[in-house]
Amino acid sequence: MQKLSITLTLNGENVTVDCVANQTLLDVLRDELGLTGVKDACGGEGECGACTVIMNGKAVNSCMVFAGQADGAEIETIEGLAKGNDLHILQKAFMETGAIQCGFCTPGAIMSAKALLDHNPDPSEGEIKEALSGNLCRCTGYKKMIAAVQLAARGGKADER
Amino acid sequence: MNGKLGERVVRKDAFDKATGKAQYVADIRAKDMHYGIVVRSPHHAAKILKIESDSALAVDGVVAVLTSEDIPGEITYGALIQDQPALAHKVVRHIGEPVAVVVAKTKRAAQKAKTLIEVTYEPLPSIQDPVEALEEGAPKVQSGGNLITEYHICDGNLETGFAEADVIIEDKFRVQRISPGYLEPESSLAEYKEDGSLKVWVSSQEPFEDQHTIARVLGIDIEKVHVKSAVIGGAFGGKEDPELQVLAALCAWKCNANVQMVNTRYESFVGHPKRHPAQFQYRVGVQRKSGKIVALEATAYVDTGAYASYGPAVAGILTETMAGAYHIPNVKVDTYVALTNSPLSGAMRGFGAPQSHFAIESLIDVIADKIGMDPLMVREKNILKPGNKLFTKVPLDETALALPICIEKSKEARERLSGIQAPPGKIAGVGMALAMQSMGLGAKIIDTSSHRLEWLPDGRVRIYLGAPDLGQGLATAAEQMAAEALEMPYESIETVFVDTNLTPNGGVTCASRMTYMTGNAVIRAAEKMKKDLLDDAARLLDVDIQSLEYRDGEVLKNDGTRIAVGEITSRLAEEGKAIIEESSFTFPYPEEKTPDHLPIGMPHVMFVFAANVARVEVDLDLGTVEVTHLSTVNDVGKVINRLGVEGQIEGGAATGLGYALYEDVALKDNGQWVDSFTEYLLATTKDMPEIESTVLEIPEASGPFGVKGVGEIVLVPTAPAIANAVFNATGVRVNQLPISPEAILEGIALKKY
Amino acid sequence: MINELNYVTPAGLDDAYSLLKAEHFWPLAGATDLIPQMRRMELPVETLVDISCLPELSSIRLNQTNLEIGALCTHGELVESKFLQENAVSLVEAAASIGCQQTRNRGTLGGNIANASPAADTIPPLLTFDAVVHLGSQQGKRTMRLSDLLIGPGKTAIEAGELIEWISFVPLKGHGLAFLKLGKRNGMSISIGSVAVAIALDKSGVINDARIAMGSVAPTAVRCNTAEAVLLGEIPCAELYDKAGEVLVDDISPIDDVRASANYRRITASALVKQALSIAEGRIQ
Repeated sequence: MQKLSITLTLNGENVTVDCVANQTLLDVLRDELGLTGVKDACGGEGECGACTVIMNGKAVNSCMVFAGQADGAEIETIEGLAKGNDLHILQKAFMETGAIQCGFCTPGAIMSAKALLDHNPDPSEGEIKEALSGNLCRCTGYKKMIAAVQLAARGGKADER
Repeated sequence: MNGKLGERVVRKDAFDKATGKAQYVADIRAKDMHYGIVVRSPHHAAKILKIESDSALAVDGVVAVLTSEDIPGEITYGALIQDQPALAHKVVRHIGEPVAVVVAKTKRAAQKAKTLIEVTYEPLPSIQDPVEALEEGAPKVQSGGNLITEYHICDGNLETGFAEADVIIEDKFRVQRISPGYLEPESSLAEYKEDGSLKVWVSSQEPFEDQHTIARVLGIDIEKVHVKSAVIGGAFGGKEDPELQVLAALCAWKCNANVQMVNTRYESFVGHPKRHPAQFQYRVGVQRKSGKIVALEATAYVDTGAYASYGPAVAGILTETMAGAYHIPNVKVDTYVALTNSPLSGAMRGFGAPQSHFAIESLIDVIADKIGMDPLMVREKNILKPGNKLFTKVPLDETALALPICIEKSKEARERLSGIQAPPGKIAGVGMALAMQSMGLGAKIIDTSSHRLEWLPDGRVRIYLGAPDLGQGLATAAEQMAAEALEMPYESIETVFVDTNLTPNGGVTCASRMTYMTGNAVIRAAEKMKKDLLDDAARLLDVDIQSLEYRDGEVLKNDGTRIAVGEITSRLAEEGKAIIEESSFTFPYPEEKTPDHLPIGMPHVMFVFAANVARVEVDLDLGTVEVTHLSTVNDVGKVINRLGVEGQIEGGAATGLGYALYEDVALKDNGQWVDSFTEYLLATTKDMPEIESTVLEIPEASGPFGVKGVGEIVLVPTAPAIANAVFNATGVRVNQLPISPEAILEGIALKKY
Repeated sequence: MINELNYVTPAGLDDAYSLLKAEHFWPLAGATDLIPQMRRMELPVETLVDISCLPELSSIRLNQTNLEIGALCTHGELVESKFLQENAVSLVEAAASIGCQQTRNRGTLGGNIANASPAADTIPPLLTFDAVVHLGSQQGKRTMRLSDLLIGPGKTAIEAGELIEWISFVPLKGHGLAFLKLGKRNGMSISIGSVAVAIALDKSGVINDARIAMGSVAPTAVRCNTAEAVLLGEIPCAELYDKAGEVLVDDISPIDDVRASANYRRITASALVKQALSIAEGRIQ
């Protein structure tokens, strides 16, 4: 089994990690780096979005990226969003709107939403739905997730409409 | 209001979930953690001739390959019938049945070893259809007959009833197998402790039951098994089956090691319980002018898969709700539960009611069409009123007043939604369905929920929650109700999750009853706590207890002095004392409400009611159905956390939508089951309708603050409302779920001739 | 589980070709089809040659009249390309319909073609453009019409050691383009029928060019020549489109599978073609 050593800019920090060639970025994050925010919910088929991270500025399913392909990449995970107890506006919004029930899909959904807002700070409802369409949820029916992204886009302010 | 009852409350566990800190079982790391991977049957039915594990054992890092031969205690378990082997014993009865477990020091070694285990099977004839399974000559799934349960309930006189009818309608309905579909696959971590005991982390609705099952399968004392609930990533009924916790415990026990087991999504599909598929035949007698249903005869065939699981109980609620929320004087229902060589059907949100309601609520619209009456009017003419008895002879109380309100609200919604124009190429329709869901496990089943409250030295309160929070927010509701009962701020309440060493036994979180039960237990405990506080305060302050009053977190002396709770509790702590009260609540089956003539687990005596109105647009060329709007009415008795209630309604709608249109664990032409999210389609953000919710609060007299259970009913009316909307739009009646566009096109084509 | 394997990053395109000559050396790009197939043990991959970063194959450019799209362009990049939006909107619509944002940020045009699923979404529009596939290997370069490249479900004429480098076509001028896809749900939709059309009218308003290609209704995506022939020389109208929809049955050979029956695919193929023609007509400049 071929061993690899890859270097990531992980949540802003340079990290070098030993892994093996048949691992995916999901495996590396969870098993080698102990970052268990990303989840395996669909068996690594890229069908559910629970493993979503932001790679070089784009939302990707980390189960669909081989470890070697992440070498040299900038990776953002859920663990990197908050600064201490200071939560990212999306995290606050998800909490406030009640968009979190069992929470298993939450990290992936928040990262998908962040990828959207980083490129498109004022998305339409349709754009939000499109951005989150790869994040399956069985608990919430998505309505509050969409409201959370809208709330975050408004800077956390109540909708005056 | 201390408990913020009715408000939009942010859950305390949301922080950890939003930051990725929440520890689900697969996230927990134990020392020198080993990994267990299951070898599963590739056959629907087969004899196991030989299991060769030498090559697997030779893989570096592999410590054991376990089979049923290695089970020290009882090989089988089962919630109702003890027929399910922890590991297949000499025979396999469904694709996915566990045959062996590999235990290794690394995941890689376990995965590699799994591929090297050679099982020699002799395939046997198998059966997948529950009706055929009950025919003469059908292959036997287990050693006995394939019929494991039957129910026959009558009320009134069917012959007389049909004689009074001037229209007789017969129809058939069929519902498919669906998956609970929680995002977190089943997982368990069993730690082998130095003292020879096991600490088992579970993602489970029934940790205390798991404790017992593990002890029995391992043949050890229950004191040696400590079960602890991790954060749960959804359950929806599917995690009332202890498969992985039993296997992880077995591995840990046999290998003296910490062993983690996590199912892949494939394994979740084939190995873990699904919703029972069912086939219904109905015959109803109706009086044309009055719209009254005077006779109903129905038969149901329920497919419980290879082992009983919750089949008899699901069939019970299915049977009790087959006549819907209607007062029908002459009823006969017969239900047959069959074993088949399919993955297990077990508990899943709704537990028989979604199946029965697809049938009866579709049938109401069929009746309406046949007699030329508005389907809402047919419902109005027949709905149960307070004081009426169901055909199970259970009388309904004032909470049945929710039913006419559901119909009124539905009329308004239907009016509004009918006014929306369909775009070119599509035809729109609006349909409605009522629903009635039972709460509780059923009569003659002892159902007691215990929880403990502790007033901490600093005055905060800790709940030792005896039942698991599945992600739906039980802990938050408990905290709110405790806050309200103790007159303390919601922020001052914290929860310890289920732990067989730390918390009392709160029972299984299921059956739309845990908020109700927990709240009642918490209120009782709170009353005792407040009394204890005053007793202790009287002693500490050296005053007469009559001169003290408790209000809003403070002890008030009759001279006006106010003492914060924390002052009392901290002084008690100095004495080595604490105010702790445990309280239990037993689900009530009052004699006057609970007829005695039915089998165990029946009848249910407490119900919740709801309605959905669905607007659909059907593409006339493609047959595709888009649900554009869903208007819901749910009676919850009392809203504890408004965000929680809304979340249940919106999430339930998504599951109901999937049941109606997308989801099917079908048997494919290649003999395999649908077993991945590629083929098993959950609703996505782009599939959801606009949802509006009306929440009714008709208090349940026995409920804490009037609470009833909303967790299941939210999805029960959805599929029939959609089917009825499709009929309204196209004139095509689709009596089978999921509603297929092809069936709609066929129906439209037939109508043209 | 993915079998044990090796991973190499080639120094450049030539190095990649040198590596890919060896047996069981497999090109790795977006991995969105590769990984699920490897997990199901469907591919004899022993070494992954990661071509995903080769800059030579990642651009969209105009080469005289030819539009050249690098095989490593992701579907997301196709969607965002202004040039494609203006000159090949049916391809943009097809790329936008693939999976979800996560898939589109990784999956590549070359991968979609090389994987050759009968349901591949980018192939029908490319067939309407008479796209040409530019292949390379250590032996050199060659081109092939896309329609000739596709042999069967999951099968192409790409030889061992070969890579798709570019896809090129001359953008159609003045045509109305449209792409429609039928799935079982709106999100992450796998096609049970897709259609790309391109139609143009002469000065008298008569159809002088009609191209129809469909996916998920045959072993490979196919041009629907019988339906196209019926349109040529006629004035566009609903009845004409109905006729095209009827004769379409000669151009397709759908099968039953877990997603849909052959019968349903046949019926809806006609409907999709009619709907797409209507939309395309409205977009003629």
